[in-house]
Amino acid sequence: MGLEQYKGDMAMCCRCSCCKFIPMQRVSGLQYSNVCPSIAKYEFHAYSGGGRMNIGTAMLNEGLEYTDKLVDIIYDCQVCGACGVSCNYAMDMEVQEPINEMRIKAVSDGHTRPALDKVIRGLRKEGSMVPVNGKRGAWASGLKLKDATKEKVDVVYHVGCLTSYDPKMHKLARATAKILQKAGIDFGVAGDNETCCGGRAYQMGYEKDFLKQAKKNMAMLQKAGAKTIVTSCADGYQAFKVLYDKHKLKGDLEVLHISEFIARLLRDGKLKLRKKVDLAVTYHDPCRLGRLGEPWIHWEGKKIPGDRFVFDPPKQYRRGSKGVYEPPRDVLKSIPGVRLTEMTRIKEYAWCCGAGGGVGESNPEFAKWTAQERIEEATSTGAEAIVTACPWCEKTFNEAIAEAGSSLKVYDIVELVENAL
Amino acid sequence: MALSKEIYKEFEDIVGEPYLCADPAVMPAYHQTQFAAIILPKNTAEVQSIVRLCNKHKVAFRPVCTGWSGQFAANTLYIDLRRLNHIIEINEKNMYAVVEPYVITAQLQAELFKRGFHMNVKGAGANCTAMLRGHGHLDQTTSGDDRNHLAIEWVTPEGNLVQSGSLGSSDEWFCGDGPGPSLRSILTSAVPPGVTPGVFTKAAIKIYHWPGPTKFPIQGTSPDYTLSEIPPNFMARYYSFPSVEKMWQAEIALGENEICFELMGFNVSMVAANITTCNEEEERVFKQMEKDVIGPGFFVIIAGNSAADYTYKKKVLEQVVADADGQSLKYVEDPRIEGILICQCIRISASVRETFRAGGAFSSIPVMGQRDLTIRWAVGAGKAKLPLIEKGLIVDDGGGFFGWGVEQGHLGKTEIFCKFDPLNLKAKEAVEQWSLVQSQRAFEERYFANTMRPHSEIGPGMSNFHIWWKKVTQALDPNDVSPAAGALV
Repeated sequence: MGLEQYKGDMAMCCRCSCCKFIPMQRVSGLQYSNVCPSIAKYEFHAYSGGGRMNIGTAMLNEGLEYTDKLVDIIYDCQVCGACGVSCNYAMDMEVQEPINEMRIKAVSDGHTRPALDKVIRGLRKEGSMVPVNGKRGAWASGLKLKDATKEKVDVVYHVGCLTSYDPKMHKLARATAKILQKAGIDFGVAGDNETCCGGRAYQMGYEKDFLKQAKKNMAMLQKAGAKTIVTSCADGYQAFKVLYDKHKLKGDLEVLHISEFIARLLRDGKLKLRKKVDLAVTYHDPCRLGRLGEPWIHWEGKKIPGDRFVFDPPKQYRRGSKGVYEPPRDVLKSIPGVRLTEMTRIKEYAWCCGAGGGVGESNPEFAKWTAQERIEEATSTGAEAIVTACPWCEKTFNEAIAEAGSSLKVYDIVELVENAL
Repeated sequence: MALSKEIYKEFEDIVGEPYLCADPAVMPAYHQTQFAAIILPKNTAEVQSIVRLCNKHKVAFRPVCTGWSGQFAANTLYIDLRRLNHIIEINEKNMYAVVEPYVITAQLQAELFKRGFHMNVKGAGANCTAMLRGHGHLDQTTSGDDRNHLAIEWVTPEGNLVQSGSLGSSDEWFCGDGPGPSLRSILTSAVPPGVTPGVFTKAAIKIYHWPGPTKFPIQGTSPDYTLSEIPPNFMARYYSFPSVEKMWQAEIALGENEICFELMGFNVSMVAANITTCNEEEERVFKQMEKDVIGPGFFVIIAGNSAADYTYKKKVLEQVVADADGQSLKYVEDPRIEGILICQCIRISASVRETFRAGGAFSSIPVMGQRDLTIRWAVGAGKAKLPLIEKGLIVDDGGGFFGWGVEQGHLGKTEIFCKFDPLNLKAKEAVEQWSLVQSQRAFEERYFANTMRPHSEIGPGMSNFHIWWKKVTQALDPNDVSPAAGALV
């Protein structure tokens, strides 16, 4: 069905422009009221959620031809889901899904960006969304972790491409492993045999490649007999939790982000944080852990003919309200000495870090511009550090900070937890 | 491309390459119109240059802010005012704010709350430009329409810069009428019949005392926002009455006592739309509320400047309602619902729920006038909706209408609309017919003239105002480049 199935939703767009701003009740001034990086940067309405709905309609009704501009519009978007949240405060319509489908259609029609094609070629060859740099499991050297591809384990820790192959990110994987060890969790990793979750390929519109990766991962997990998968990457979390489920591949696998797992361990008394970490922080909600981490809702039905846009059976919309917002905050509040101050745009209406949707790969300037705005917002809270829960956010923030010459520090939540153990 | 390469280049030289686009992929994002191009000026000088160039090459233009559904002639140059998004000044002493067109109401209102002020918010909602002229839920205490426009900076259809009111003789924005040129009859923004040609690039807006918090204590995640506490000395209620006459008796008495911060003549369908998070829930809550009310009603917010002021206002409110045999809707007395409504109906953050969510489109007949007279007409227009509701062509709102007084008086706004599915052609046709018949009835029975209808229909009965207005606009726009659609949308 693809884009076609969202024809009715796209036609519902009333061009109110709410998709450009955080939900109206949350607007607390002129500053930090934008929610969509794409329209904020490129200005033309075509770059907004509403503009994309109208373009989607034109693609279906008028067979809109691909121009360079159309390709820019399609790919200069982090697919961060913020427009959908703001729209769905008031409207009953799908926004995020048609945007995903437009990308999938563009890829299927052969209109892609060379930088993204290159990444996907790497994925097909090496099973990674980032350039391969040594062995995938090298980060685990000396930790004596179980090999989930050979031993039965309760929990599999899926590390992810960036954390595995970027030596600067190895600290995140090692911290995660140490936390799990400290809590006595029976877990394993796939090490050199781990492969990409496919989530970022999906964001870029390469649905078939995503499905291949998803099937490989689920086969491995079934073989390992794992009931639970833990990720320390928000993209991985969304892939396993939401996208695998959407494509009916997840089964009854429990998917947890490490922040959820740590919050659970703290609650159950299996983990204690005793050391003081004297730091004023603010927390950045990664899009794919927050609003886009909301569980998938399986639904099939038809519009009831007549006046209202209602369905049989009733349709529930994923409005971003059920993302993972509290567990990371609970964890931060459990660390002695950490003082959390919130930014203006948080939780379901958080501003994106800039890295998603292939923007980091195909338009790094735009990614950096987006991160820059977040860094400025974080700095305005008086925090010494911005804490996130995804290596892609950390990478993009660090690049923006380096360029801006800011003194703000960036930490992943597992680093602070490790320091407090 | 509608523009030749040479002309395109001339426009590009004004705003720079990133801010002009004639790519066919961009047009449908705006509207289903083949525009000459989309252009995004960043300041008044660029707007002037664009308009002058339009005159030179006879290119029609339309300035647009956040936008709504609109109709545009092909080959129009679409001036997207998105980059004119600055708050120029908030003058607390003289109680006005100067803004550019793309400052939305939610932004300005939030800035005003921090300073102990607020403003009139148009019914179109917090997502629309703060500069828009019109009416809204807060008209009781913040007036409406041109009463809130002070000095205005206006780029005429020929590209000249006109500064009205006090701005015309000084650098001050405090007055729309002088010392300096008062152009109140011409500078009417987007509200028919006097739709100003040209472009408004800045306007001073009156601001008012705000007795509430610097920020509403919102909790929860979208779309389930609630208030963690009702702000001190605030209360919201919905009252229904046994008859329209009784409702009007209460409305006018409350106005005379000047105790309401907001009096919005919602029908319960609109209350239900405001407090619910999806269509199914809205329908369910509306049906329940319809059973719980005893007749037509209105929604009230009182806001005390002190505990004593609040107690006085509450006492008067209860007495007036009792005198008119009114009844409070229990549903709204629930602090959770009360909180949602206080925030929602002051920030006007759910207009989209009231209008577009249910069916995707709505058709409205709004009117300013003597409230008891226009209510009488609206009762008939509401009854005329019932057959359409029965046939399932429009959303069931019980045949409701709504409205409110301005400045606590008898003059005010009354409005009625039909919500429908725009893809259902039968529904669209039925709604158009309803609109036509009810507008004709309003005119023939001398209630009012629906200025949203073609002016040739109503003009002959109103001193041929449309001919005079046309002469004014022709004088202002000799090259006919600024179509009669407004300086602001």
